[in-house]
Amino acid sequence: MIELKNITKKYEVNKNNTVIALNEVSLKINSGEVVVLKGASGSGKSTILSLIAALSKPTSGEVIVDNRRISKLMDNFATDFRRDNIGFVFQKYNLIPSLSVAQNIILPLVPTNPDEKDVETKLNEVLEMFHIKDKKDILVKNLSGGEQQRAAIARANINNPDIILADEPTANLDEKLSLHFIEIVKELKEQGKTVVIATHDPLFFNLDFVDLEIEIFQGSIVI
Amino acid sequence: MLSRFNIYLLEYAINSLLRQKFKNIFITVILTILIFLLSSVFFISSSLRYELQSTVEALPEIVVQNIKAGRHYDIDTQRADSILEITGVNDVVARVWGYYYFANAGVNFTIVGIDEYEQQYKNSLSEVSKKMDFSLPSMYLGNGVKNVMKKNYYKEYFNFIKPDGRLKKVMIAGVFDGDTQLESNDMIVMNKQDVREIFDIDDNKATDLVVKIANVDEIPTVAAKIKQLFPDTRVITKNDLKISYQNIFDYKSGVYLALFIISLFTFFIIIYDKLSGLSSEEKKEIGILKAIGWRIEDDLKEKFYEGFIVSVFSYLVGITLAYVFVYLFQAPLLQNIFTGYSALKTSFELTFVYDTQTLATIFFLSVPIYIAATIIPSWRSATLEADEVMR
Repeated sequence: MIELKNITKKYEVNKNNTVIALNEVSLKINSGEVVVLKGASGSGKSTILSLIAALSKPTSGEVIVDNRRISKLMDNFATDFRRDNIGFVFQKYNLIPSLSVAQNIILPLVPTNPDEKDVETKLNEVLEMFHIKDKKDILVKNLSGGEQQRAAIARANINNPDIILADEPTANLDEKLSLHFIEIVKELKEQGKTVVIATHDPLFFNLDFVDLEIEIFQGSIVI
Repeated sequence: MLSRFNIYLLEYAINSLLRQKFKNIFITVILTILIFLLSSVFFISSSLRYELQSTVEALPEIVVQNIKAGRHYDIDTQRADSILEITGVNDVVARVWGYYYFANAGVNFTIVGIDEYEQQYKNSLSEVSKKMDFSLPSMYLGNGVKNVMKKNYYKEYFNFIKPDGRLKKVMIAGVFDGDTQLESNDMIVMNKQDVREIFDIDDNKATDLVVKIANVDEIPTVAAKIKQLFPDTRVITKNDLKISYQNIFDYKSGVYLALFIISLFTFFIIIYDKLSGLSSEEKKEIGILKAIGWRIEDDLKEKFYEGFIVSVFSYLVGITLAYVFVYLFQAPLLQNIFTGYSALKTSFELTFVYDTQTLATIFFLSVPIYIAATIIPSWRSATLEADEVMR
C-alpha cells in the first residue's frame, strides 16, 4: 500500500522565490490498484510520483510504501528501494539514445552485477511481454516514439517491481499508440501490479479497470 | 569470496566514452602526447644520470696537468717519481692522449694510449690491454667512432695525419666496451707509442698524470701536497670533475624542467576543464541512472572505469612510444638538448635504463589525477536528488 500523509513539497527557485508544488496532500493507494492522477501541467502530479519513487523528499509529511517510511530513507537506501520496488516510465522516456534497446532495458540490473543467464532470461521476458524483441539490438535513437515507450516500459519492468509509476506516458504518442499503452496498463494490473499514472490525457478518464481517479489542482487534491 | 567483476558496468563505461567519441579521442591523444613527452624527458635524463654516475665512478682520483699561460701543456714524466714518494699514493700513471679532428665527419675522437705492462687505471682499458697486439700499430674503437669510420669506408685501417703532415697507418683491431657510453663512445685506444707519434709527444712527456690514492679520504691532502711540490701544475680531484660534470648536467636539466612545466601546465588545463563541470546531458544521464536504481557509488565506479580506461591507455601508449622514441630512435631533437655540441662529438647512444621509480612518478602524475578529475564532477551531480538533476 502507498500512503501519503500531509505532504507538502516546496521548490526553491531562488532565494526570494519558492514554489509550493504540493500543499498538505494525503492519499492512500491499495496494492494492485490502478490510479490516475489528473490535472493540468504544473499541478503537482509529477511531484507526487517523484515522492512515491523516493526521487525527492517532501518538505514536510510522510510517504509510506508497504509500511516503510521512504521519505526518511537515506540516499543509497532510497535508491535500493526504488530499484527493487518501483518501475518508472518517464514522460520523455529518458532512455540513453546511443545504447541499444537491450542495453537500455538492462540498465537497472547493472549495479547488482547480475549473472549473464539471469540477465538474458529477464530481458527476453520483458522483450516478449512488451513486443519489442525484434528491436532488441537497434539503437534507441532510431526507434519511433511508440517503440521508445515500449522500451521504457520494459526497462521499468525488468526488475519485476510491484509498483509502476508513469508520468504523462502518452504525451508524445498518437491516439493508436496511446490506446496500446492503455492495454499494457491493463495487462500490468492483471499481473497484480500497482500502477499510478499522472496524465492530463482524456483517454485515461473513466476507464473501467481504473480503480481511482484523483484530480490535482495547484498542489492540492480536488476530488 | 571475491566478488565477480561487473562486466556490464565496464560495457556501459566503454559505451559512455564512445558516446562522446571525438571529445574523448582528443583528450586521449593530448594526454598520450603529454605522457610521451614527459616520459621521454625522464628517460633521457635517467640515461644521462646513469652515464654520469658511472663516468664519475670511473674517474681517476687525482689528475695532474702542466699549465702554462693558463693552458694545458704536456707534463714531464719524471714528475711521476716525485709524486709516488708522497705518502698515501699507490700509483702514478702517465697518460698519453689527445683529441683528433676527423674532418670527413666533422667530429673529434679521443685517442688514448696504453702500455702493455702498465697498470691501467680503468677496467675497460685493462680489458683492451689484454686483447691488444702491441707489436703492430693497431687500435680498438668506441662504438661511435666505429660507426663514423664505417660510414666513411674505414673498415680495416685508418691513416692519421701527424703534425708534420705525414700519415700514420693504424689497423682497426676491433671495438671495445667502455665502462660507460658517455666516455667510451668517441674513444680510440692504441699503443702509447703510436699515440706519441700521432700527436708528436716526446718519450719523456705525457698529457697528464693520473694519481691513485689508497684512501679516498686522503685525496684533498695528497692533492695539496702535489700542488706544493709542483706549483706550476693544475691538480684536479675526482670531486672537482664531479662538480664540473654535474654543472653541465644541471644546466641541461633546466631545459628539462621547462619542458616538464609546460607538460604539467597543459595537463592541468585538461583537468581544470573536466572539473569545471558536466554538460546538462551528462547531468541528466546521472539523474536517469539514479532514478532507475543506480547508487552514487555505482555511478562513481562507472566514471572510475571511464577515467581509468582513458588514462591507463594513454599512460601505456605514451610510455611505449617514449621507450621506442628514446631507446630505439635515440630521441631525435630531444637528445641534442641534453647532450649538446653534437657537431664536435660522435653521436652518443642512450643506454637503456629500466627505472621503476620513473615509471611510478609518471603514473602518479597522470593516472590518479585524471581519474579524480573524471569522478569529482560526477560525484557532485550524483549527490543531488535525482529529481533535481533531471528537472
